[in-house]
Amino acid sequence: MNSAVRVLIADDDLMIRQVLREVLDEEPDITVVAVAEDAEEAIRLAERDRPQVAVLDVRMPGGGGAHAARGILARSPETAILAFSAYADRAAMAGLRAVGVSEYLVKGVPNTVLVEAVRRLGRGPG
Amino acid sequence: MDRPPAGDERFRLLVQGVLDYAIFMLDPAGHISSWNAGAKRIKGWSADEIIGQHFSVFYPPEDVAAGKPAWELEVAVAEGRLEDEGWRVRKDGTRFWANVVITALWDDNGELRGFAKVTRDMTERRNAEQALLERRRLVGHLVDAQERERRRIAWDVHDESIQSMVAVGMRLQLLAGRLRGDQGEVLGGLNDSVQTAVRRLRALVSRLRPPALDQQGLVEALTAYLDDVSEQWGLEYSLRHELPEEPSEEAAITLYRICQEALSNVHRHAGATRVDVRLSTVSKGMLMRISDDGVGTDTATGGAEDGGHFGLIEMRERAEAAHGWWSMTSEPGAGTTVEVWLPILPDLRDIEEEP
Repeated sequence: MNSAVRVLIADDDLMIRQVLREVLDEEPDITVVAVAEDAEEAIRLAERDRPQVAVLDVRMPGGGGAHAARGILARSPETAILAFSAYADRAAMAGLRAVGVSEYLVKGVPNTVLVEAVRRLGRGPG
Repeated sequence: MDRPPAGDERFRLLVQGVLDYAIFMLDPAGHISSWNAGAKRIKGWSADEIIGQHFSVFYPPEDVAAGKPAWELEVAVAEGRLEDEGWRVRKDGTRFWANVVITALWDDNGELRGFAKVTRDMTERRNAEQALLERRRLVGHLVDAQERERRRIAWDVHDESIQSMVAVGMRLQLLAGRLRGDQGEVLGGLNDSVQTAVRRLRALVSRLRPPALDQQGLVEALTAYLDDVSEQWGLEYSLRHELPEEPSEEAAITLYRICQEALSNVHRHAGATRVDVRLSTVSKGMLMRISDDGVGTDTATGGAEDGGHFGLIEMRERAEAAHGWWSMTSEPGAGTTVEVWLPILPDLRDIEEEP
């Protein structure tokens, strides 16, 4: 097996951060390398750890998901971004796609869907 | 006493007998030269007491000090007539709100012979208007406060309750995957319940404050709402719109809420299969028309039973608080049409401050 997919998590909600980490770490081929509480921290950690996938909350202090996505892609262009949003909002989705977000999932999807999306993004376009 | 211009006895009796208007004459200098029953009733003086006095006794001291009586006669001479609304004083010193018309009277030689003065006591009407205005303002504030509170609750539910439930659901799925057999199934069932609760909370958030209204505007929000209820209630719908621009936030939420209330009436009472919603621009405002093909009602009593009436009052009050109007027309067998019109205003608050 290839080495595990390296993931960064950013969410301002403690419960979500904890459970996201557990759900992803439960998978043998995925490893959470960094956990951030806001957009600025997410950008800093992405630059340091160069994750393959960043799972970002859309509404966070310090600029939110769109700001975090732009910052991360500027410093770590190989990172694929998955927006994990509380909103099923078409306008927000379009906005995030425009700044380079690869995938948009609404909170409440089954864990398997989330895990599959992370795995797919981690394998990359090839 | 002067003869009235017509010189006709019947005409004199008519003027003398009118009770709702004070009708009297002034000489060119402003002294009272005739008096009628309405003048006595409204102002309190008898003819004997008042004839010969200057008409400035009818004005409050601040108006007399400002030279208003003389100024009014000057305007009447210059322009033929003067109309004014304002406070006037009765014999007993109390004030009443008067509508006053002063007309300059000229003889055939072009000489000023005096003035006809007609005064009406508008106090009750003014009080009623003020009460109505006050009530609309109050309803406006209430509606505003209600919307703000709803939005705050929606955000709280969304950002806290739903997030926590989502986290709980994810953890239940995680645990269900680790356990074997029955226990895993129990946790799977618990997770289903949590997901149902999340969906219900999202529906609640959406009812409290439709997210589309803030993010995508009125038409999108109405479309989402109509999609939702038409499926639930088995209604066909159409939505046509020709608004040149997005309405103000207040107007958008007012139209949205009235549409919600009207649709819920259609669902409860109309027995309709189809509803047509149309938004258009009419006389510097937005008109929303909601028509159904239901059983219709007698408009006079429509919806009065089982609390429906309150919904009708609420729709009208919301429209009026936004400076518009609301109406419902219905006939048995011919469906019901609700119309609401709101003016397009840069900011509703500007208008409220006007007297």
